[in-house]
Amino acid sequence: MGTATFTPASTALPGTSARAATVPWHLFGAVFGATSIVIGVIWDISWHMTIGRDSFWTPAHLAMYLGGLVAGVSSGWTVLQSTFAPPTSAHRQSSVQFWHFFHGPLGAWVCIWGTFAMLTSAPFDDWWHNAYGLDVEILSPPHSVLALGMIAVAFGALLLALGLQNRSSDEMRARYGAMFAYAGGILVVFVSVLTTEYADRGLMHSSIFYKVMCGVFPFVLVGLARASSLRWPATTIAAVYSAIMILMGWILPLFPAEPKLAPIYQNVTHMVPMDFPLLLVVPAFAIDIVMRRMSGRRNDWILAAALGVAFLATLAVAQWPFANFLQSTASQNRVFFTDNYYYAMPSQSHTVRRLFYPMGETTAGLLTGILLVAPVIAIASARAGLGWGKWMTRVRR
Amino acid sequence: MDDAGTTVKRLVQAVGVAVIAAVASAHVGSPDTYFRGKAGPYDVNVSIRPPGVVPGLADITVRVSDAAVRRVTVQPVFWQTSTGGAPRPDVAAPVRGEAGLYSAQLWLMRSGSYSVYVAVEGTAGSGTAVVPLNSLATRRFIMERGTGFMLAGLGLFLFFGLLSIVAAATRDASLEPGAQPDPRRVWRARFVTTGAAVFLALAVTGGKNWWDSEDESYRRGLARPLTAEAGTYMDGSRPVLRFTLTDSSWFGGRTTPLIPDHGKMIHLFVVRSPGLDAFAHMHPVRVDSANFETTLPPLPAGTYRVYADLVHASGFSRTNADTIEIPDLSLSSAVPSDADDGWRTPESVPVPGMLKSESMLKDRSIMRWENAGTALQAGKPASLVFSVRTAKDSVVELQPYMSMRGHAAVTRVDGSVFVHLHPMGTISMASQRSFLQRATGDTSVAAILAAASRYPDDTTHTLHDAAPGAVSFPYIFPEPGRYRIWVQVKRGGQILTGVFDADVAERQQK
Repeated sequence: MGTATFTPASTALPGTSARAATVPWHLFGAVFGATSIVIGVIWDISWHMTIGRDSFWTPAHLAMYLGGLVAGVSSGWTVLQSTFAPPTSAHRQSSVQFWHFFHGPLGAWVCIWGTFAMLTSAPFDDWWHNAYGLDVEILSPPHSVLALGMIAVAFGALLLALGLQNRSSDEMRARYGAMFAYAGGILVVFVSVLTTEYADRGLMHSSIFYKVMCGVFPFVLVGLARASSLRWPATTIAAVYSAIMILMGWILPLFPAEPKLAPIYQNVTHMVPMDFPLLLVVPAFAIDIVMRRMSGRRNDWILAAALGVAFLATLAVAQWPFANFLQSTASQNRVFFTDNYYYAMPSQSHTVRRLFYPMGETTAGLLTGILLVAPVIAIASARAGLGWGKWMTRVRR
Repeated sequence: MDDAGTTVKRLVQAVGVAVIAAVASAHVGSPDTYFRGKAGPYDVNVSIRPPGVVPGLADITVRVSDAAVRRVTVQPVFWQTSTGGAPRPDVAAPVRGEAGLYSAQLWLMRSGSYSVYVAVEGTAGSGTAVVPLNSLATRRFIMERGTGFMLAGLGLFLFFGLLSIVAAATRDASLEPGAQPDPRRVWRARFVTTGAAVFLALAVTGGKNWWDSEDESYRRGLARPLTAEAGTYMDGSRPVLRFTLTDSSWFGGRTTPLIPDHGKMIHLFVVRSPGLDAFAHMHPVRVDSANFETTLPPLPAGTYRVYADLVHASGFSRTNADTIEIPDLSLSSAVPSDADDGWRTPESVPVPGMLKSESMLKDRSIMRWENAGTALQAGKPASLVFSVRTAKDSVVELQPYMSMRGHAAVTRVDGSVFVHLHPMGTISMASQRSFLQRATGDTSVAAILAAASRYPDDTTHTLHDAAPGAVSFPYIFPEPGRYRIWVQVKRGGQILTGVFDADVAERQQK
């Protein structure tokens, strides 16, 4: 590799064995920030499904912006520390250079960028509402800037943990590895939120669902799994995702709320949660098994093919029958919360009538989509994930 | 017969048919809704300023003169879902320093017809007024320079910041702590960053296209009137004004049907332009599903602005504007097809701005603008009070004119504003009625009786003006400038039209 010189880690690098058992606080700051943001996002979506009416000062928005600020400020502080530390100091030596002057861990820069993107989106979104009306859609140009910022904060936290994990060799490695997996789980939540339109339970018997899920999740899960130091990385990360979604799904409906916008088509009395999470733990477990079995193989394309096919096959085996359960009234309870109808969802809609909507797809189209197109997408996605994961295994700073 | 034949030819040549110009919503250039009426035992004045975007926030203020008021609530109700599908009412906050004035914001989420339920509670009991409101996207918002520069600056910072992160990630991130990047690594980082710059530039271009397409679809969704045409022709010796709906959404059944307002399917106003010296208020009747016709009163030849007020069953009200040429018909008189048609011709109507506070009517009685001396200001509520007396200064008895004590038409001299006013404000009574009927949601006799006692009947609207022989119209002039006002009342079975001019001063900054 391109290492020209190597200074022994005698000056107590954070995260090395010389100063064991102290997780640097800026990592806690970033992880707290990512957590606050992900809770804020799920809360905000629930707010729009339940109450509808909002302002900048809703608690959900405050949670998001608090998370962004905590991550940004703690990262900014560590950047200042590294920048003004002596060149031989541990801070400085585990930093990347920025604009020929500043120094700081890569993850800190990503967090700072994310915070600025989130702050930029606020006046942009305000203008957007004045010009084109209040939100009726999750994805608008200003919301995309906000989403990029929030994902950057989560990714920055993940990179901070990753750098520390990759340069530790003792019991701290497991600790950073766990924090990496936790941040990875948050990243999976963001990916699921961005693709939520295609993850509707009414689409789970359509090829579009499998195509989109195969496009995003093999990339994220395989990439994170390759860089993780845990024994069951993909499974752990998918479990974190599931735990966040399920906990929010159990907690939010405990709070009474009612719609404040007309027209109202559903009798909503409590906060409406997002959908029950996808059974991603099943294909994630398959990814872990395949990666263990084939860890000796050199060729990433063959590995990607095995991972892609395994992901799709296990996702289909798990999610297809589970979708029947979700569409049945048996899942209309506190545990699976499938009575989570948006207040303006018409009663005659597929969702409320609990029907699959094939959107005109024929059986031939369905089979072609799932058996031919989705595998290709899954393999390409897994291959990209392997490349990304390989880069992450090398991150030291 | 020959005469009539040549007249037809002349008409066809001179008139042709004009396509209705693009004007949105009820009234022209006067987007605010103003209502004066009863909420149970209380007199309320309600003004609503729509946001101009959908979804958006409308500002509503309610003035209640009664000191015994405890609470005022407002609730926007969408026409399709009625009160059952409306959110809980919001409490309007008292405006500090303004006794009896309450304000709130209304969240209007859909385009179309809404009504606002204004409920007043106090020691005299509680009551509700229903104020119809059109929710429409009517304006485009251009970014101000300051905001533009700020966002562009932040955008550039994010763009180059991201490239710097890519450069740092490829150059330094995978180095062991303390190591320095070698030249090969530095060059590789430059190469990757350049590639990332190209990718990012493409992404930004994609974002720009996305923005443009959102803007485009917003502009397509801006309110537009139903297309319609107006024209004149001779039916034998009877001059006829015809109004034809030509809009594809009308023929496609994508609008709700029209309903009568004050018993008339269409209220059609014509104003001779630019002199504003001839005016008529007519009520064409339906000939077939798209055509409405009326006998033209004896108006002088010239170019006329045409305004047609329509109300849909959803409660949505709209005004279509057009211009037509009326040729010289040399008519001395005509029998109107509707007894409620009224007009005023140029004799004794001077140029705008010269009119005094008195106007001589057709039957020699005199209409006086009681508060003509009061200064008028754009954006400020005004009550225009008129009274009718005989030449000997005795009070006359006014008859209800289409269930109102009077009607008024107000136009800015340049034609940018046109509004049809009643003593109850700018709202359409038919819209209000359609909401009241829907809100009941129960056709049992008991329910109808209960509803009738809950909501004011038409006739009460004629009683707002206590003084006999007087009529008043609440209005907020939207723009400064010179306006002409035609006031119509009924006396002795005749429709009498008085004409006045008003100068409206600039809006006062708060």
